Amino acid sequence: MSATLTAAAPPHVPQPKQHGKPGGFLRHTNIFTGLVTGIVLAALTYIIGSHWFVPWGTQNSTYNQVGFQALIMATFIAWVIGFMAGIGAFAGPIRWMLGHDLTHDDAEYMAGKHQGNWRYFKYTTDHKVVGIQYLVMTMVLFAVGGFLAMMIRTQLGVTWTSVFQPNFYNSIIGTHGIVMVIAMIIVVSGPLGNFIVPIMIGARDMAFPRLNALSFWLLFAAVPPLVANLFMGGIRDGWTVYQPLGAQAPIGMIGYQICIITFAFSTGIASVNLITTIVTMRARGMTWSRVPIFAIGILASSIMGLIWFPMFQFSQIFSMSDLALGTSFFLPTRGGSVWLYENIFWLLGHPEVYVIVVPASAALLELMVVYLRKPLFSYKLAIAGFAGVVGISSLVWVHHMYMTGFAPSVGYPFMLSTELISIPFGFIVLVMLGTIWRGKMWTRLPMLAVFALLFDKVVGGITGVYLSDVPVDQYMHGSMFVVAHFHYMLMGAGLFGAMGAIVYWFPKMTGRMFDEKIGQIGFWTAFLAFQVTFMSMFVAGLQGMPRRVMQFDSAFRVSNWISTIGAYCIVIGMLIFLYALVSSWRSGKVAPGNPWGSKSLEWQTSTPVPLDNFPVLPVVTEDLYNYGIPDPYIETEERLAQDDNEGVVV
Amino acid sequence: MSAVATEPLYPPTGEPASVNARRNRLGLWMCIASDITGSVALWISYLYLWSLNVNNGWAPPKNAFAPAWPFWAIFGGALVSTVLIWAAYKRLAAGHRGAFLGLATLGSLLILATFVADIVQLSTFPFGPGDGAYASVTFWMVLVVAFHLSLLSFLTLGITLRTRAGRITPENPSHARFVAMYMTWVTVSILIGAILTTALTTSTGTGGPAFGTFTSQGS
Repeated sequence: MSATLTAAAPPHVPQPKQHGKPGGFLRHTNIFTGLVTGIVLAALTYIIGSHWFVPWGTQNSTYNQVGFQALIMATFIAWVIGFMAGIGAFAGPIRWMLGHDLTHDDAEYMAGKHQGNWRYFKYTTDHKVVGIQYLVMTMVLFAVGGFLAMMIRTQLGVTWTSVFQPNFYNSIIGTHGIVMVIAMIIVVSGPLGNFIVPIMIGARDMAFPRLNALSFWLLFAAVPPLVANLFMGGIRDGWTVYQPLGAQAPIGMIGYQICIITFAFSTGIASVNLITTIVTMRARGMTWSRVPIFAIGILASSIMGLIWFPMFQFSQIFSMSDLALGTSFFLPTRGGSVWLYENIFWLLGHPEVYVIVVPASAALLELMVVYLRKPLFSYKLAIAGFAGVVGISSLVWVHHMYMTGFAPSVGYPFMLSTELISIPFGFIVLVMLGTIWRGKMWTRLPMLAVFALLFDKVVGGITGVYLSDVPVDQYMHGSMFVVAHFHYMLMGAGLFGAMGAIVYWFPKMTGRMFDEKIGQIGFWTAFLAFQVTFMSMFVAGLQGMPRRVMQFDSAFRVSNWISTIGAYCIVIGMLIFLYALVSSWRSGKVAPGNPWGSKSLEWQTSTPVPLDNFPVLPVVTEDLYNYGIPDPYIETEERLAQDDNEGVVV
Repeated sequence: MSAVATEPLYPPTGEPASVNARRNRLGLWMCIASDITGSVALWISYLYLWSLNVNNGWAPPKNAFAPAWPFWAIFGGALVSTVLIWAAYKRLAAGHRGAFLGLATLGSLLILATFVADIVQLSTFPFGPGDGAYASVTFWMVLVVAFHLSLLSFLTLGITLRTRAGRITPENPSHARFVAMYMTWVTVSILIGAILTTALTTSTGTGGPAFGTFTSQGS
């Protein structure tokens, strides 16, 4: 989009009294003070609490056996609070209460000015720093989740022996699931939503910079309890942790629950920030019909996260309460209902799929117009698609519960609503295809990722329509077919789309060009291996292989061998891609400000992006994606019509 | 032009305070929306378990439901303090800083007293949190009210101190308004909780599923 930069003389702004040096208390805090404070507070809570919680649990027969769980819960909560206190998260609210408002110098210090790479280890408010923090955190989570995935595939591929104990295997399954779900939720909205969106809409920063830092560091604090679960009995019930299995679980379950509760806070805060930023901080002239489609996708995703994550959070608060405080939300012997858990859980659990896929799709819509040099095919249809997904996503959760015995009569309305959501999703696919149609393609890696996403999304979407049918689901529900389906949606569409998006914005984020030659090798190796792995899993599922098992009938051996070989090849591809990413970041070719010739605002500012993003705030003067290359078909038609009018005989 | 020139500016960015206030207001609405969803999860749980009465496990032993009046007393405390903070905000917007300080101090003390009352209610229930589904949901409803009230204690104290420090002024009273808005939502949520916990106690549900005989510790 074309933009002009307007300068205005900055007004003299009266500043509040500067208390000490700029930054105040935050000058003394960083990740290490957070870790130390968190560990010390957790240890103190454990020591002091062991004299109180355990006797409390054993003295009262009603709370028998819950005392130790309560102690672990208190310890993990102390870790989160201690870490957040130690890194300086509470300094802002206390300053607010005391009336010690931030000065301009305070704000600049907190944004990381003149702090070099150290700012990545502090409670830094600059959205670009937070975006990079999210990117690194996402890569770490994928590494952990991917390692666990390989352990699973190794067990399923080595059909002649048992590599792991059954309980540990179950723990690996559950932990892999939730780590990957978290990573997928943040992979686009975290790095790109934070780094790119504010610049893309012509803002100087996010609406609430301190909340931005808070959302990232809450995520950071949420991860150790989750990883700790593997050493504390694990989560043996899959990532969904159905009740009442969750209430019978070892203490590792508390780590899972604390992680989800904290992560939900983090996501809610990030959603508030992104929505407010996009709605209120757009550049002058950027009317709603000129908002980049990626920002719209992030907005849609944030709305879903904001509304539904608290449900997810409360499902875990209640189940942790059952486990550690002896309450009975989900324990039928004392009046609880297992259906209640499943309803509350899936009210977010299903929209979460769209929280993942929508931003990835929006990112690819955004970049494909650049590589095709033509306007987006029906911007309004894409908006309708996102709006439809947001609206219908809240009406489909029961399709996860067909086999639970919960209200069989509502299965059919939910079957219909689930099938209906394929229509707005179809809009998005249609817009992609329409944009590609007759476009002059610049075949860079991000553009090719569009085709990867399209293929995976169509496979995942069509198999999803099958699974939404009550009769088919009765046969398929507990099978590997479901596993293959959701991997196509989450990994196939979500992750491969995210990889394309990260490569596209890599030059702006790092100041270096991505090594596409090596990156393409990694990307396509992973993509093809992904097809081998999960197509084979579809076959196993159709043959009747149940999911969540480590030993199975010999009839499923071949498909599992193929899946395991494919999975190892995915890792090889991902490692090659990771190598390209890291080596490009360290020593890649220095990127120009706008290597793709894009017209959107984030490419109009210099690279590396200055602290305030723009020297002066831009004003948008043209419609979106106006690349000035007419559609060749229309161009030909117009020329012929003109020739006819001029009486030219061909 | 002169109106623009005299408008207070937000120190870190130099933007007009009204621009920053609009942004904060939308952020607050988003927070309230998220808070509503969490509260809805709690209310759904109450209604769901009340209606099912699984294994006749809804009521606490000896039908010892919580007395009704503390719920209404806490609602009354929240309501009066909300009215006080709104009145304080109106007085401040009209230019009466002293009246604001008096009313806001009163409101913040009352909300603190309501918080203490909530804790007392929590610790004097005639049942433990594990004594049936009613006890569990009611325990958490009151705990969530305690969380909200503690947050409001912080916020009301904050706007009082900030006004004394000259950060909230008749020209820039938005923070006081935001606190009053949030208090209104919290008061509504307390009201809904009070209605549920006092009007829907004894369950008439008899046809609920039994779900087998799971035990809580897998014995």
